[in-house]
This record gives sequence, structure tokens and C-alpha cells, in this order.
Amino acid sequence: MALDADDEILQDFLVEASEILEQLNEQLVELEQSPTDADLLNAVFRGFHTIKGGAGFLALNPLVEVCHRAEDIFNLLRNGEKSLTPAMMDSFLEVLDVLNDQFDSLRAMEEPASATAELLLALEAMNKPGNDAPPAAETPAAAAASAPEPGPAQAAEPVAAQPEGDITDEEFEALLDALDGQAAPAAQSTGESVVAETVSASSDEITEDEFEALLDQLHGKGQFGGAPGQVGAPAEASVAEAPASSGSDEITEDEFEALLDKLHGKGQFGTVPGQPEPATEAPATEAPEPVAAPKPVEPAKPAAAPAPAREAKKKPDAPQAETTVRVDTARLDDIMNMVGELVLVRNRLSTLAGEELEQAKEEMTKAVANLDVVTGDLQMAVMKTRMQPIKKVFGRFPRVVRDLARSLAKEVALEMVGEDTDLDKNLVEALADPLVHLVRNSVDHGIEMPDVRESLGKPRQGTVRLAAQQEGDHILLTIEDDGAGMDPEKLKKIAIKKGVLDEESASRMDDREAFMLIFAPGFSTKEEISDISGRGVGMDVVKTRIAQLNGSVEIDSEMGKGTLLSIKVPLTLAIMPTLMVKLGEQTFALPLVNVNEIFHLDLTDTNVVDGQRVVIVREKPLPLFYLSGWLVSGVSTELPSEGHVVVVHVGTQQIGFVVDQLIGQEEVVIKPLGALLHGTQGMAGATITGDGKIALILDVPSLMKAYA
Amino acid sequence: MPIRVLVVDDSGFFRRRVKEMLSSDARLEVVGEAANGAEAIEMAARLKPHAITMDIEMPVMDGITATRRIMQANPCPILMFSSLTTDGAKATLDALDAGAVDYLPKRFEDISKNRDEATRALCDRVYTLSRGHAGAAVQGRRPATPAARVSTPAATRPAPRAAAPMARPSAAPLRRGQFKLLAIGTSTGGPVALQEVLTKLPASFSLPIVMVQHMPGSFTPAFAARLNQLCAITVKEAEDGDTLQPGTAYLAPGGKQMLLESRGGRQILKVLEPEAGQTYKPCVDITFNSVAKVYPSQTLAVILTGMGADGREGSRTLKQGGSQIWSQDEASCVVYGMPAAVAEAGLSDRVLALNEVGPALAQL
Repeated sequence: MALDADDEILQDFLVEASEILEQLNEQLVELEQSPTDADLLNAVFRGFHTIKGGAGFLALNPLVEVCHRAEDIFNLLRNGEKSLTPAMMDSFLEVLDVLNDQFDSLRAMEEPASATAELLLALEAMNKPGNDAPPAAETPAAAAASAPEPGPAQAAEPVAAQPEGDITDEEFEALLDALDGQAAPAAQSTGESVVAETVSASSDEITEDEFEALLDQLHGKGQFGGAPGQVGAPAEASVAEAPASSGSDEITEDEFEALLDKLHGKGQFGTVPGQPEPATEAPATEAPEPVAAPKPVEPAKPAAAPAPAREAKKKPDAPQAETTVRVDTARLDDIMNMVGELVLVRNRLSTLAGEELEQAKEEMTKAVANLDVVTGDLQMAVMKTRMQPIKKVFGRFPRVVRDLARSLAKEVALEMVGEDTDLDKNLVEALADPLVHLVRNSVDHGIEMPDVRESLGKPRQGTVRLAAQQEGDHILLTIEDDGAGMDPEKLKKIAIKKGVLDEESASRMDDREAFMLIFAPGFSTKEEISDISGRGVGMDVVKTRIAQLNGSVEIDSEMGKGTLLSIKVPLTLAIMPTLMVKLGEQTFALPLVNVNEIFHLDLTDTNVVDGQRVVIVREKPLPLFYLSGWLVSGVSTELPSEGHVVVVHVGTQQIGFVVDQLIGQEEVVIKPLGALLHGTQGMAGATITGDGKIALILDVPSLMKAYA
Repeated sequence: MPIRVLVVDDSGFFRRRVKEMLSSDARLEVVGEAANGAEAIEMAARLKPHAITMDIEMPVMDGITATRRIMQANPCPILMFSSLTTDGAKATLDALDAGAVDYLPKRFEDISKNRDEATRALCDRVYTLSRGHAGAAVQGRRPATPAARVSTPAATRPAPRAAAPMARPSAAPLRRGQFKLLAIGTSTGGPVALQEVLTKLPASFSLPIVMVQHMPGSFTPAFAARLNQLCAITVKEAEDGDTLQPGTAYLAPGGKQMLLESRGGRQILKVLEPEAGQTYKPCVDITFNSVAKVYPSQTLAVILTGMGADGREGSRTLKQGGSQIWSQDEASCVVYGMPAAVAEAGLSDRVLALNEVGPALAQL
């Protein structure tokens, strides 16, 4: 079937099928804990059934063939004719990966590739009542591997010649059938050693290739996802803004799009040097790995090698994220109602505008109060249409933790709390990769090996706890492990060794700041690069991504007890709480997320260190900068004798901005700068203040880069 | 007034597709979509649809349970969507047993290859079922249901066929030993009808039976097995080379053609691959014509409910040879098509309500 980008039916299918796939991911891991749960088995069966149905409707045969097989096996499972084994579980998880790839291809308007013949073969072999002895599956495959040119005939013969005691005739028949049906196309498509793959497919261990492929999906592709999703969003987002911005409705979609790009890193990513984008980085470094680090116990797996390569090829142009949101019609009705209210208030106001001021004053106040309520409600309602439960992101973690723990031979339980916490769709998508990275990090670096834990008097099984909750206008995400914790001194030493930090600053650093070192570019605590979490990049990228979302990260850790990572992100990106300040006659807005504290200062009481003005605050030196000197023309950068200091943080560093006047806190709607000013260093955008004037919104990190 | 249809499927994707297909037909109007059996029951009660398309596999409550409940509370023709698997066949038969009037295999290849045709087939099916006698047939089967009512709008209900012989032809006196073979042909509504008829036959029933039910190949084994379980007589799916045994019913395998041959004094069934251009696989006419060669005057042929006119020509040949033809009456048919074709051609010796067929046969 020719794929058609505009095919609504295809898009419709993808939306639903992707949701099901996410659920399947979760359900399968759950199933591993309770393999006989009838409801779960039914749900998984239905999941495959529904995807198969839709795929069949669209004649997507590669999807149908793999779903069909999985569905059949789950039908046996749910009818109690078979029980779930870890080996089967691996195959099913592989099925999900295959489907994921196929969905990606479809999104990229490519013909989806068929599942590897060995997977289909393995599934075929499972599709019979009763549990076969594992040797049955492996024997022919092993035999085939030793044959010089394994075709269906040769693959079958060696087994027939030396029948194993534990293979029944019936099983053997089934296998032969399976081989006959499947091996021929396999040999064509993937080369000679195809049948050998069966071993790795049905073996207990997840192979490195599989794992890499998984990594690729989780990291590279997901990360890429943010941008297109957000590009799709502006239409809805700008609706949210128009009423909220007290009358200014000049924002165009293009402008908003540009702004969103800027906010979410499409543009910014390119400008951050030394931080290669994970999407392009991951496949590049990973592809050679199967050669570089082969596990001796693993069987040869040349057939799998093309897989990462193929992914690398298609990743860059895969438009990932969904561009649609599902909204409850009741919610839309609410919004329509409120818009109706808004129209009424507008009419009231325009009538009042024509009347004599004195008479109208009281009425006007009423109308404005009304307007306030309506816009507030409307803002919330529109925001809610973009809200999605964080479950969407959390859903992938059981699988991530399971696979990772398995490959590291650790025992890890994952607890999740607050999965129903809602946040902005863009945030949900943008948070996915940083969170995955942090959770992987917790499992990899945090949790100790079971034996070590036991010797420390801890339970063998480590626990990673993932929690989400709303705190006012923020979402607080925490990742907590009961692992080894971090040693601040060790971190400092490494940082010094890596040149990230000098001895002097290290000695002044407190523990919390030391923990934050793991987010410094070029910092990796492991001496050797582990293929699991640290590749030297990653944590700093995570930090950058969270910062781009106007979020912050904090680490608390206790040696031997565990580590707690807290991530704070705003509920939405379109509206930002700021601190309004005045420099000269102009108003500026500082994102509140950057602001730590404010104090009034006699600026004569400062010192100069290395040519930099500093003030000692709570026994710590704070570099001071005079913002007016930077941003207002004709003002020298010399500090005035007295002023207000706004303490802001950039990464782990704290600095003081001296401003002329403090106005107060205000929620502002971010407007992009016009084309002429677009990309001006230090400016995140502009907004319109309550008195109708324009205020520039400062982008603290980029401001520091441009001026300090 | 268009036929009001309720679409039930747990996949939003499928609901939209089915809705699109049904909405393309001006005669039909989708009045509601339910995502599971429980919603379906509620919507059936509230919306009073004239027809329901029902998926089987759904969360909360499956389609079979929902069908049973709807048929108790708000009877209305239900068309099951079933997958073409062995388990799909079992589930479909359960659904028919629960009161669904018909099923439509989810034939994906067909849909994707020729969407227009698949759409037309679906719409025609829903339309015919909603106007047909499904409600009545159902009512006949569940007389105890107090709330039972025919939901077909009176206005769209077809006038009784004028062409059909109004008076039942007086039954020709039957002689014991007159027949050597019972041949039955049926289509839509057939699974339930066959079950109704065959379960009335005693284990001592002396004739061999050949049965043709329009059905896909993956369904007939499960159907035969089910009938065998429910009936006193033996029922099996016909295999090539089977020799007819008295008191055994042979069901023509789906997707094939079944022929009767006489060889060395034995009556042997042949199961053949269908030839290109054959609409029905299995086909009643083909089987009946072959029967007419073996027992031209000693066959009792019965045409039960079904869409179309398959069986008319085969019955004609049998009738000419001196065999007897019975057909199901209009009121008890899910779709009065095949029996009507036979009756209107003047071939029918007796026209019987479904619940009369079994007892009448048992007296042979």
C-alpha cells in the first residue's frame, strides 16, 4: 500500500496504536510480576488484537503478521493452555520494539519493515498449547548455526539425525512446520546466519544489540520528538494566550512557533557548543559497540547488526511526537461557554466605553472583575486541554528499569507515585528523555549489586521511587533510590581531575553544590565509559533540557543511604511567573525560576576580587553585575552606591544583579521578539505589562554568556 | 427515516471506520458509538437503535455478554464482527447463540483492497438485517422475554411478499422410507437455525444429512464441533472421501465445495477446491445438483434462512427428479431470501416455521 502523509486514517491508526503500544509496554512488565493475572492477559491480548485489526484495515502486513502471532499466543495464555515464561517475555518485548520501529517508519512515511524472520519463527514455535522444553527451540537453531549454509532443509536435517530425548514428535512437527514456513524468506532477507539468531532471540539474556536498539529508541528518537510536537502546538497555544494577555492579540502563529522553537531547544540546541545532541550522537557511538565489546557468552548475531544502522538512517527525519491532542468534548463545551461569557463582557465594556466616565465607573469595575474571572477560568480550561497525565512518560519506566536491571544483574523494584498528575503536553514529551536518563542513572550508578547490598545489611532488591506531584504552579518530580549515595569529596576530586573545577572553588563548595557537579559538561563519575548511562555526555544535556523547560534540578544524597533527585518544572510554558524590575526607565522581567532572593545593599561595602566586584553574602562571595550598565544605553557598568540586588542562579553558580528598582512578581505571557530582534542575546522574549508597556524578558544564562 | 445504527467496538479507530462506512449510505444513520459491552447495553436502552454492529473482544464487558443482555432487555438485530480464527469462530457462534442475528468476518484484505465494495457489503448487510425478520426470529426463539419487541420501524417494514404463495401448499403425504437423504442449505441466520433444527432430531434419526452453510473456512470446524456437542445425532465437518452414514450430518467445509458421488454402492462425499467465479463457497446449488445425480427422487431438501437465492437451481433439479423441497417461512427467517427464492419459484412442497422444521423431520 502506498503510504500517504495526509492519510487521516493512517494518522488515526497511529494515534490509537501508539497508545496501545505504550500500555502494552507497561502491561507486559506488570505481567512479569503476576504472569497469571487473567485481566492483564486479556488486556494484552486485546491490545495486540486491536493493533492487528487496524493494521489489517490499512493492509500493513508487516504489522499484522507480528501482532497476529503475539495475539494467538496470548489467546493460549489467557485460556490457560500455556503459561508465560521469561523467554517468551523477551520475545514479546522484542515484538513491542519491532512495532515501535514500524510505527516510526509509518510516521516517516516509509514502508514498515517486517519483523526479523527469527522473531516470527520464535513466535510461531510458541504458538501451541503447553510449554515446550527450551531445548526444543534451541536445538534446531544451534544445529543450523553449525551448518555451512542453513536453509530450511539443512536446518531441519541435523536435528532429525540426532533427535534429542526431550523433544517430542509433536513439538518437532511444529518446529518443522515453522521452519518450512519461515526460514526461506529469512535466508533471503538477512543472509546466512539467520537461523542462528533464534538462539539469541529465545535466550534469557537480552542481547546487547537489542539493548542498544532499545537505548536508541529511548534516547535519540524520543529526544527528537519534542520539537515537531511543539511546532504542531502553536495554534492551540495561541488561543490560550489571546484572552489571557489582556487585550493584546497581535501574536501570529509564526511568531509563536518561533518562540516555541526557541524555548524548546530546536534553535538553542544548535548554539550550545560541546553538547552534541543525543539523537545524532547515540547511534554514532553505539553502532560500533557490538564489535568493540562482544560478550563472549552471547551467540554470534551478525543479523542484528544492520538494525542499529537502519535506525540511524531513519531517525533524523522521523517526525515523532503526536501532533494531535484528544480533548473531552465536555471540556470543549466548557471553553465555548466561557468564550461566550467573554463576548458578553466585551460587549458590556464597549457599551460602557461610550458612556460618561463618572456613571460608568462602578459598572466598569464590575465588568472588569467579571472579565478577570472569565479569563482566569478560560486560561485554566484551555491549559487543561493541553494537559496530559505524566503516566505517558512513566509508562515506559517499568520496562526501562527491568531491562537495565537485567543486563546489570541487579535487582531493582520500581515504585511510581502520582502517575495521574497532569501537565502540559509539550512538557510531557520534553521530559521523557531527561527522566529516562536520570532513572537509568539511578539504576546504573545508584543501586548496588545485590551481594554488595546484602553485605551492607540492605535488602538485595534495590528500590527506585519515581514520584510526581503538583506544587502550586509547578510540578515536582522526584527520583529516589536507596542505593549507594554520592560522595561529595569523590565528586570534587573527579571534577578537579577533569578540569571542570579548580581546587580553590572545590574547597569552598558545599555538598549540594558538589552533587550538582554531575551535571557539569565533561563530567562522568565512572572511569570507564559504561554503555548504560554515562557516555560523558548525558547528564549535562539532561540539565540543559530541564533548564530549557524553565525547570530546575536539585540533588540530595547521603552516602550509603541513597540519592534524591528533584526536578521542578512549570505547569505550562506559555505563561511564566517573573520578577519585574526597572533599569533606568525601562521595565524588564526576570524569570522567577532563576531568582533565589532579593536584598537591598549598600554597594560601597563590596570588594574587588580578580577585577570582579563581589559582595559577601552569608560568608560566600557573590559576583555582582550592574544590569543597567549592560542593558540601558549610556549607563556605565560601574556600580551605583546603593541598589537592589537580585540573586539569581545559573547552573550551580549564584550571581547578583544590581537593579534600579523592583516592581514585583507578575505572571507574563511570553511573546516572541519581532523578526528584527529575533535571537538577540540575553532576551527570551517580550511581554506587555499591566500598564500597556512592553517589557523584555531576560534569559539569564544567555545574558551571562553575552555580557559577563 | 434512516435506520438507526449503534456501533460497538473498543477501538476508536474501528468505530470511526465503521461509522464512516455506514454513514456513506443514506439509508443508515449511526446514532451512537459504544466502547465496550456495558456502554452498549446502556446506549441500546437509551437510543433504541434499529441495528447494532458489535465487536467481540472488548474490555469491561465482551460483546457476547452484551449481546445476551441487549437481547433480553432491548432486542434488536445485532451484527457481530468476528475475526477469522478458530477462536473467533467459537466466539461468533457463542454470540449467535446469545442472540446475534449474523456475523461479518473482519476481512481486512477485502476492506483494504476494495473499500467501496466492503462498504457496500457492510451497509447492505446492516440494512437487510434491520429490515428483515431478525427481531421476529429472535422473539420466536425467546418467547419468555417480556420486553421483547421488534425494533424495526413499521414504516420501513416491507409489505408481505405478494408473489409468495400465500397458502401453504398442502403437504404431500409422506411415506416411511421415501427418503434416502436429507439435504439442507442455508446462509444468514443459518447457524442458529441449523442448531434449532438439528437438536430436535433423535439419535435414531435414520437418514444421512448433508448441510451447506455459507461460512468461511475457519468457522466450519468449530461450528460442526459445536453442533455435534449439542445434538443427539453425529455432526462432523465433511472430509473428502467420507462415506455417508445414517444419522450423521456432514457440514460442507467453508471455502470449499462439497459433492456427493455414488461409487461401488457407497455414497461418498468429495470436497473440492472452489473454481474461479464461484460466489458461494460452499455453494448449495453445487451440492444439491450432485445430490440430484445420486438420489434424484429420494432426497428431502430444506432451504432455511439466508440472503440471496443460492439453492434455488439445485432445488429445481431435485424437484424435477421427484424429490421434495421444504422451505422456511418468512416470519421466522432472519433474512427471507433463499427460502423466498425457492417458494416463489413454486418449488416448495411445504413452508414451515423454523420451530416446526425439526419436529417434522423427526417424524420421518
